[in-house]
Amino acid sequence: MLIGLIVAAILGPLYVWQNNDRPSAKRYGLGSAIAVLGAAVTPIAMGQCAFAAETTGVDHLFAYTLMAGGAWLALIALQSFFDRADGKKSESAAMTGEIRTGGFRMGWWVPWALLSPTLIVLIVFLYLPAIQTFTLSTKLTRLGAPKSVDVCFGNFTELFITDPWKLVAYPLIAVGLIYGARFWMNRSEPGTLSRKGADVATVVAMLSVFVALYAMFSPGGGEQVAYRPVYVTTVIISVGIVAFGMIGGLAVAYLAFRRIRGGSLYRTFLIWPYAISPAVAGVLFFMIFDPTAGIFTHTMSSVFGIDVPNYRHNAFMAQSAIILASGWKILGYNILFYLAGLQTVSHDQIEAALLDGASTWQRFVKIVLPALSPITFFLLVTNLTYAFFEVYATIDFMTKGAPAGKTSVAIYEIIRVGVNNGDLGRGAAQSVLLFAAVIAVTLWQFRTSGSRVSYGGS
Amino acid sequence: MHKKLLLIATVLAFALIAAACSSSSEDTTTTAGSTETTAAAGGEATTIDFWVAFSDEARLGFANDRAAEFNEKHPEYNIQVTSFSSYNDVFDAAVLAVDSGEPPALIHFFEAATRQALDAVGSDGAPVFKSVTDAIGGRSEILGEPVVLDDVVDAARNYYTVDGSFYSMPWNTSTTVMFNNMDMLNEAGITEPPATWADVDAACEAVMALADAPKACITWPNHSWFVEQSLGQQGELLANNDNGRTGRATEVYLESDGMMNYINWWKDLNDKGYYTYTGIQRDWDGTSNAYLAGEVAMLVYSSSDTTFFDENADFTNVASFMPRNQDVDYVGNLIGGATIWMLDGMDQTTEDGALAFLNFFSNPENAAAWHKLTGYIPITKSAEALLADEGWYDESPNSKVASDQLAAAKNTPASLGALLGDFVGIRDIITGAIEDILVNDVDVATRLAQANTDANKALTEYESLYGG
Repeated sequence: MLIGLIVAAILGPLYVWQNNDRPSAKRYGLGSAIAVLGAAVTPIAMGQCAFAAETTGVDHLFAYTLMAGGAWLALIALQSFFDRADGKKSESAAMTGEIRTGGFRMGWWVPWALLSPTLIVLIVFLYLPAIQTFTLSTKLTRLGAPKSVDVCFGNFTELFITDPWKLVAYPLIAVGLIYGARFWMNRSEPGTLSRKGADVATVVAMLSVFVALYAMFSPGGGEQVAYRPVYVTTVIISVGIVAFGMIGGLAVAYLAFRRIRGGSLYRTFLIWPYAISPAVAGVLFFMIFDPTAGIFTHTMSSVFGIDVPNYRHNAFMAQSAIILASGWKILGYNILFYLAGLQTVSHDQIEAALLDGASTWQRFVKIVLPALSPITFFLLVTNLTYAFFEVYATIDFMTKGAPAGKTSVAIYEIIRVGVNNGDLGRGAAQSVLLFAAVIAVTLWQFRTSGSRVSYGGS
Repeated sequence: MHKKLLLIATVLAFALIAAACSSSSEDTTTTAGSTETTAAAGGEATTIDFWVAFSDEARLGFANDRAAEFNEKHPEYNIQVTSFSSYNDVFDAAVLAVDSGEPPALIHFFEAATRQALDAVGSDGAPVFKSVTDAIGGRSEILGEPVVLDDVVDAARNYYTVDGSFYSMPWNTSTTVMFNNMDMLNEAGITEPPATWADVDAACEAVMALADAPKACITWPNHSWFVEQSLGQQGELLANNDNGRTGRATEVYLESDGMMNYINWWKDLNDKGYYTYTGIQRDWDGTSNAYLAGEVAMLVYSSSDTTFFDENADFTNVASFMPRNQDVDYVGNLIGGATIWMLDGMDQTTEDGALAFLNFFSNPENAAAWHKLTGYIPITKSAEALLADEGWYDESPNSKVASDQLAAAKNTPASLGALLGDFVGIRDIITGAIEDILVNDVDVATRLAQANTDANKALTEYESLYGG
């Protein structure tokens, strides 16, 4: 632990040096102190349990990662304080084109007083439960149990492989690949062979993140929990839902956008699936595909004489069924947004392209798609969140995770372990992991897609 | 200025996290819930909350009707039935309600969680539930309601008696029986319902050879209860210390011969196409639909739905004992279902009201009516006698099979069934392994070895929280 604090004390001033022009000695000192403080928060809060005698390298790794995170957050806060003192414009103000936020004339506390109802609701219903989840995730505990046992990072480490060096190496390799690809991208000129190579490298680097995570999660066996299959299932089903929901949504919206008789009525009906709850979507598709009572299965066998196999026996069919049901449910939502977005596509540009002899496909790809990019970006975030969090009921009705966990995504697993089996600590740990995943995905989306999104204006 | 505040807020947030994490692991700070209920003094009826894990019209309706009758008979009490969607929901809600100081008087909880209920404590460390026998304290009637606890049939009494005390009042109690589509079996030349695994194999061969053969021959839900039943039949223990009945169970045996025999037979039926797996664990609806739709000739199921099958089958439906392993001596089937638990810490008036209701609820007439409505066994001997006098069994012979099967069981720890910590989690591990074996064709011994490791880990962890 001491090593971690020393490293923080050295890296703190480095961060200050990098982000400020000729900082004063006072700032270096502050940077060092704040970094140590930030790094010390988690080990102190957890009673330094990760550095106890019987802990493994993986425990230390988790502790150092949290220390680094703490120091980093503290430094970011410190930097924003410095920037304020220097009178720099904040990044967000620069982006939205605002010049300066107006001062409040009635004293600093008035805006806080006005915000307090919202803040209280947020604290009571969001932050306190979140903190409790973090606390629970370090324990072995059950509802109604006379005692609970502190397991430190045990609920987390059992989800990962046991070799700490591999656990460090895999994410570092992935990050290295991403930075390498970005470096290559910056060095290459558009239109050259080198740029094409850089494009490929970028895609490979992105995929390497998925591969690294795959390698990091434990395949099970011994004391470890087989979390790798859950990860794979979650990736397949989430990507499937988002791809089906968004491509399907755009396609239907594009078709429905054309002038057709009764168009508005038709468009209203298209949005309906969104109003259906995930549970009902599960029941509907269950009624269609169920091997005994299903409409589809029955029709296929009685009319066409084809015996449709039980979709719950086959991983591919079961996952497809979940993607179909969940994607269908979010389809209406995507159509709604794309329909709105299509109305903002500049008609002049399309007409100009038409005169220049662009085909329908070219007009769609070169004009409509870029114009829709803000909406696509927004939908990507909301669809992924939906795929991560709101598929439980659909899965519970259609497969209950069958066959053998092949449709048991992260959220389903959390509820199975934490609620149905009453293992609160493990459930909490898995939900912290999902929480981290959603934050990571959102950050990544804002960093990469954000730069390429065109919001129309200058 | 704002950045400064942001910084302060961040520091505060970290301080909060630190405070939350460093709080003691035992949440003993919450004040003990006061469970005093005002007694019926000025004509105000004492409310007795009864939380039920049924939400279907028939079974919840039965509870509501009995509560209404009791309220009419004893106007000083008001039994209030609340419905929950599952046993787990009832239990979680009850434990939380104890901590918040407004617990119900009676809750409906299932057999596999008996250990969990016995172990449950509130945040003050006091047990959540109280032994019904202790509360009755040898009285033969309470508020004019004759005590029927001593009259409960042996299979149920023995199951729910822990450390010599009969803790909770059995309500819905059943066992596994087989339902046979005799029209289909007769067509295949089988005149008697199959009694053993070998008989099932032979019957299935004949049924599947029919010109208009059904989709498959037999099915049952992938529920751990059937595994436990088979272990009981074969006289195998599921856990050490006599299935957790002479001491706390600390080890489970998922690799026993009985286990291997049953799962191998099951897999074999599945591989031959005789057994059809609906693809969902604990799928009561899917399997029952398959039987009623004539997609299988036989269904191993809970006796709880005997009346339902008798009323809804459009073929000759005959109930028989659950098929057993012909190679080992038959020991006995066990019960399943749920009991009504009484919460600890009530004042005498409320407790007496709750006890009176429990005994009223299972008096011979009510127990017989419950049996007729569903197929759950008549829970007391006098209810059985009443039904026999009425001629109900002659009229509806399928209804007697479950009681007969339980009466045929030898009273051994194996046939009583196990009392296990984290039984729900262990059942989940068992059905998960079976699904893997049926769907993915994995090796039975290897998969059960993994399940055994997982189950023992779960049990050890449970014992580290509750045991010793």
